[in-house]
Amino acid sequence: MTDSTSREWLEEFEAAAQRPLKTRLDYSFIKTYKPVMDDAEFRSFETMEDYRRWCEEELPRWLGYARL
Amino acid sequence: MPAFDYKQAADIRNALKRHGVRHLFIGKSGAVLLGFPDTTQDADLFVDKDQANGRALVVALAELGFRLTPDQAGEIERGKDFIQLKNGPFDLDLVFAPDGIERFADAWERRVEIEGFLVCHPDDIILSKEAANREKDRESLPRLRAFRDYWKQHQGKDNPH
Repeated sequence: MTDSTSREWLEEFEAAAQRPLKTRLDYSFIKTYKPVMDDAEFRSFETMEDYRRWCEEELPRWLGYARL
Repeated sequence: MPAFDYKQAADIRNALKRHGVRHLFIGKSGAVLLGFPDTTQDADLFVDKDQANGRALVVALAELGFRLTPDQAGEIERGKDFIQLKNGPFDLDLVFAPDGIERFADAWERRVEIEGFLVCHPDDIILSKEAANREKDRESLPRLRAFRDYWKQHQGKDNPH
């Protein structure tokens, strides 16, 4: 992190702290279609390991759910 | 489906409170509640894995408008580690065993309350993202850590609930 990044982030945190919670929430959530992920109404996994493996095997890599 | 918003978050808070569901907002949705300026898609709830708590959660979810089959309700009551709901008024992820957090009781002790919303401490949100070790978190973690430090300085205490 550079000094300018650090300063920029600090300014963003301070600006956010001035906004009411309702405003923060109303503007923080976005909805975009995620292939595969959004194609079922219900999914459940016995373990987190099962879920992580499913993400790696089934989701497009560019969604970013794979482990590093 | 429109994006999640304050009203829906408040609906969750109120329904889960009415039914006594032990839960905490976690993930980036939890961080946003704490003041982290960023965007996210879904709300994530860390739920105490206890059958009575699971039963109460199923009742609350039905009240919120989620359409659960008996089998799905049973899986929630049982507390499978991760459950994704897209069969209601908004998308919701239920996490009964988040990576990096040993016990719900530990996270509950450290919880933060904001306008009635029960939220994981930023240390726990970061721990769970670090342990998940996903590509999508790689870029946001340094900024989230910087926010945690800022938040701690301005809260003046580690456990403000």
